[in-house]
Amino acid sequence: MKNPMNIIGGLFGAGFGFVLAAAQLNEYDTIHKTLRFAEWDVFLLMGLAIGVSLPLLWVLERRGTTTVFGGRLSLSRSRIERHHIVGGALFGTGWALAGTCPAPALAMISSGAMYGTIAVTGLFIGLWLRDRQVERAAVTVPEGDGEHRVLSR
Amino acid sequence: MDILPDRLPWYITGPALGVLVVGLFLIANQPLGASGAYVQTMKAARRDTDTVGWRVWYFGGIFVGGVLATVLGRGFEWRRGYDAMSAAGWSPGVMAVVVFLAAIIMGYGARMAGGCTSGHGICGTAQRSPASWATTATFVGTAIVVTFVLTSLTGLGDLVMSDGSLRVQP
Repeated sequence: MKNPMNIIGGLFGAGFGFVLAAAQLNEYDTIHKTLRFAEWDVFLLMGLAIGVSLPLLWVLERRGTTTVFGGRLSLSRSRIERHHIVGGALFGTGWALAGTCPAPALAMISSGAMYGTIAVTGLFIGLWLRDRQVERAAVTVPEGDGEHRVLSR
Repeated sequence: MDILPDRLPWYITGPALGVLVVGLFLIANQPLGASGAYVQTMKAARRDTDTVGWRVWYFGGIFVGGVLATVLGRGFEWRRGYDAMSAAGWSPGVMAVVVFLAAIIMGYGARMAGGCTSGHGICGTAQRSPASWATTATFVGTAIVVTFVLTSLTGLGDLVMSDGSLRVQP
């Protein structure tokens, strides 16, 4: 089961990176223009992505669909906690200034824009800093939200 | 190669992203998040035994897919990126410092919030998770405010015309 999942992960990554680059979400200018309301494409894109996946997942969950490798489909829903708001505000600040986020920063390098490497390096450092802080403070990281829930193999 | 237009319209890319999200749930029962892939890639580099291997492949896949779309679309060329900052007269050094520090804040925030634009913004909201809706509203709102302050203070936005072209510096 390990090997097919790796290939599936690679393919989904490729599909995701393809869409991001094709939509030019990997350009600083696109994100900057979106956030100052000079264009609406990114908001519409995100809205449609949610608009397609939310109802489909809802129906699949209700029907108790069995997934190929992950058992019965289980969606994760968590309570709002302080770390979501503080983390979200920090993330939004960085997103606005760097004009990119984790996946588009990778696709930025794919398009030949070398400053994407600075963004990706900074992202690694930021994620690592938070991990280190959590380890030192022995705080338990809340799970079950976003994609950082307990990840299956 | 001009097989794809320079930019695929949102009404194609949006649903395509939605289908990918549902597809990964149907196959692996997992959300399609990017910052988690960074975390796993970091673990793989440290040879941690509990690394989730397929998320590392996912990380590499994003890069490969990006190259493919670029080659089929507007064409690959080595460049700096961040054209609007250059057009606003920012030096390459200032741009590098801003992008670097911003990315550190972003990574830290994503880890704290438990996800980023893909994990919370699309997958979490699609799962109808209150935490994801709250995180997404917070980061979108904050980003809009920060962008407003940035453009007001630096004139960065004024140099980008509404049609997307850049106004030439006097």
